[in-house]
Amino acid sequence: MSAFTRQALVVARRDFTAVVATPTFLLFLLAPLFMILMSLLGLTGAAQIADTSQDKTRIGIIATPSDGPFLVAADARLRTMLPREIQPPKLDLIPPHGPNSAAVAQVLLAQPDPNFVAILYGPLEKPTILKEDGRRSIYLATLAEQALRDRKAGIAPGTQLSHAQTTDRKVTTASASSKHATGYAAVFGIFFLTLLLAGQSVGMLAEEKSNKVIEILAAAAPLEAVFLGKLIGMFGVALLFVSFWAGLAGVAIALSASFIPLPPIAAAVGLPTFLVLCALYFTMAFMLLGAIFLGVGAQASTMREIQMMSLPITIFQVAMFGLSSAAAGAPESGLARFAEIFPFSSPFAMAARAANEPEIWPHLVALGWQGLWVAITIWITAGLFRRGVLKSGPGLLSFLRRKR
Amino acid sequence: MTDDMPVWAEGLVKTFGGTPAVRGVSLSVPRGMIYGVLGPNGAGKTTTLRMVLGIIDPDAGERTLLGHADPRKVSHRVGYLPEERGLYPAMKAREAIAFMGALRGLDWATGRKRAGEMMEASGLGYAVDRKIRQMSKGMAQLVQLLGSIVHQPELIVLDEPFSGLDPVNQEHLEALVRSEQDRGATILFSTHVMSHAERLCERIAVIAGGQRRFEGTVDDARGLLPMQAQYVPCDRAAEAGALLPADARFDGRTWRFQVPDGGAEPMLLSLISAGHGIAGLSMQRPGLHDAFVRIVSDAKRADAEAQA
Repeated sequence: MSAFTRQALVVARRDFTAVVATPTFLLFLLAPLFMILMSLLGLTGAAQIADTSQDKTRIGIIATPSDGPFLVAADARLRTMLPREIQPPKLDLIPPHGPNSAAVAQVLLAQPDPNFVAILYGPLEKPTILKEDGRRSIYLATLAEQALRDRKAGIAPGTQLSHAQTTDRKVTTASASSKHATGYAAVFGIFFLTLLLAGQSVGMLAEEKSNKVIEILAAAAPLEAVFLGKLIGMFGVALLFVSFWAGLAGVAIALSASFIPLPPIAAAVGLPTFLVLCALYFTMAFMLLGAIFLGVGAQASTMREIQMMSLPITIFQVAMFGLSSAAAGAPESGLARFAEIFPFSSPFAMAARAANEPEIWPHLVALGWQGLWVAITIWITAGLFRRGVLKSGPGLLSFLRRKR
Repeated sequence: MTDDMPVWAEGLVKTFGGTPAVRGVSLSVPRGMIYGVLGPNGAGKTTTLRMVLGIIDPDAGERTLLGHADPRKVSHRVGYLPEERGLYPAMKAREAIAFMGALRGLDWATGRKRAGEMMEASGLGYAVDRKIRQMSKGMAQLVQLLGSIVHQPELIVLDEPFSGLDPVNQEHLEALVRSEQDRGATILFSTHVMSHAERLCERIAVIAGGQRRFEGTVDDARGLLPMQAQYVPCDRAAEAGALLPADARFDGRTWRFQVPDGGAEPMLLSLISAGHGIAGLSMQRPGLHDAFVRIVSDAKRADAEAQA
C-alpha cells in the first residue's frame, strides 16, 4: 500500500470513528425515522381533516321515487370505476317538491350541514344542476344519463348483465414508461442520499482548523491524502447510514410484499447490474460533490461562513438534480447526453441511462471519467486550501505561467 | 545536503502578501545534534521550520530533509511539534498518540502500545484513557509531544516546545529531548527562551528580521561579547575609576566594566601600583541572553540603516 493511500486511510479511520462513536450519530442515523414519523403525523392529520370535511360534503339529486333506484344503481356502478381519491362526495336523494325544487336546491346548497356542493333537479331528460363545484356537476349529469338509459332500456336497477373474468398477464418486457420511472427514481434516490450525506462534508475541516490539528496533518501527509481520507471517512459514515436504512427497508418490503404491491422496477441493463451501477454512481456522486463541499467549506473560518456557503452548495446540487431529472425523462436527447458528460451531473444522469439504455460500456467510461474528476476536484480544492489557509503554493496565474 | 546533515537549507525566502517573512535563511543541522533556532517573536523561525518540513514551499532557495529534496518523501522519519498545539479534543490520549504515529507510518497496535509505555514513563500513565478535553494544557502538550516521537523518528523538529509548560514539565521535556538524542535522533527546536537553548543546544542559529544573523555554538555566541569584570578595590575605591575603562560603573563598593581587548592584566597591575589593591575580582563571560540581545539589536540597527 502506498504512503498516500495509507495516510488517507488513517485520516478516514479517525474521521469515521469520530463521527460514529458519538451519541449524536444515533440521532443522525435515526433522523429519517423522525422525518417519516413527522410525515405520517402530517398525513394522518390532513387525512382526518379531509375525512371530516368529506363526511359533511354531499351531492344531491331531487328525484322522483321511480327514478331513485336507477340513480342509486348508476352511482354505485360509476363509483367502482373511480379511484377512491377522486370519487365524488356521497349522493343524497331528496324527495321532489313540485315546482319549488329550484328554491329547495338553493336552500340546500346554502346550508352548512350537510354541505351540498351540487344538486340536480328536474326531469332526467333535461335536468338542471345547481353547483358550487364544477367537477361534481359532470358526475351528476353522467348519473342522470346512465339512470335514464337504464330506465328506458327496462333494465332493473342493480342488474348485472356482463360477468367479466380477469386474468393477469406476465410482463416479460419492461415498458418505456416504467424504465423512465425507474430512471427518475434512481436520480432522485442518489440525489436525496447525496444531499443528505455529502453536504455534511462542508464543515469537515472546521474542527481541524479550529483545533490547529491541520498543522500536524499537513506536516505528516499531503493535503490531497488528508482530503481524500476525509471523503472516504464520510463515505464510510454514509455507507453505514445507507446500509442501515436499506436493511430496514428490505425487511419492511419482505414483510409487506404479500399485501402491498411493489411498484414495477424496470432497468434496461437488468436489475442486478442496475443496482450495482446505482451503488457505484452514488459513490461517485458522493465523492464529487463531497470534494466540492469539502473544498469550499475549507475556505471558511467560522461556522457562520460555513452556513452561508451551504446555500449556494444546495442550489448547485438541486441544479444537478434538475438537469439529471430532465435527462431521465428524455433519454437519448442532447440534454441527456450533456448531463451524462458534465462531471457533476454525470452520476445521476448515468444512473438514469442504466434504466433506459442497455449498453454497459458507456458506464465503464463514465465511471472512469467521474473518477478522474474526483481526483481533479480533490487536487484543486487541496490547492485552494493550501493557498488559502496555509498561505503556500503558487497562485493560479503563476501556475498557468509555469504550465506554459 | 548529505546524510550527515539531516536538515540543510540554503537561501530560503518566503513572502506572505508582499511582506517578507524569511529573507534568505540557510541552515545546516548535523546528525545527532540538538540544534536551536533562536529569534525574537516574528523573526521567521516558524516559517523557516515549516519550509524545511515541506508544510509550505519556499518562494526561493533550496532545502533537503534527511537527504531528500522533497521533505514529504521522508515525513515518516520526522517528528514535528508545531507551535500552535492541536489535538482532537474528543480523542483519548492513547488514541491521539497512536493516530499521530499512524500518520507517520506506525501501525495502530504498536502505536497504542508505545503510547501506554511512553505515558507511563512520563508520569501520565493514569491518563492514557483520558480524553484530551479533560486534560490540562500542559498534559495535552506533553501528549502531543509524545505523539510526535512515538514512531521513533530520526529527526525531531520542535517549534517553541517549552511555551505554556510549567517549570516541572519544562524540566521533564528537557530530559525527554536528551533521551531522544541518546536514542540517536537529531533535534531541531526553536525558542526565544535562552535558558533552554543554553542548557540543551550544541549549536544555534539566531534569526532576526527574517535573516540568519548568527550560527555557531553557544560559546561562540557568548564570545561575541567581551568578558564582564567586577572589581572591589581595597583603598580609595572611588578614585580607582580613573584607571578603569570609560564605561566602568561604580555602585559605591564595586566597579563593573567590560574587559578591554588587550585583557585585564595591564589594568590590574596599574591599579595595584597606584595602591588601590584588589579586595575582590571576578571575570565572567556574558550569558547567551546578552549575546542574543546584542545580535538582535545589531540586526535591527543594520536593517534600519539599510532601509534609510
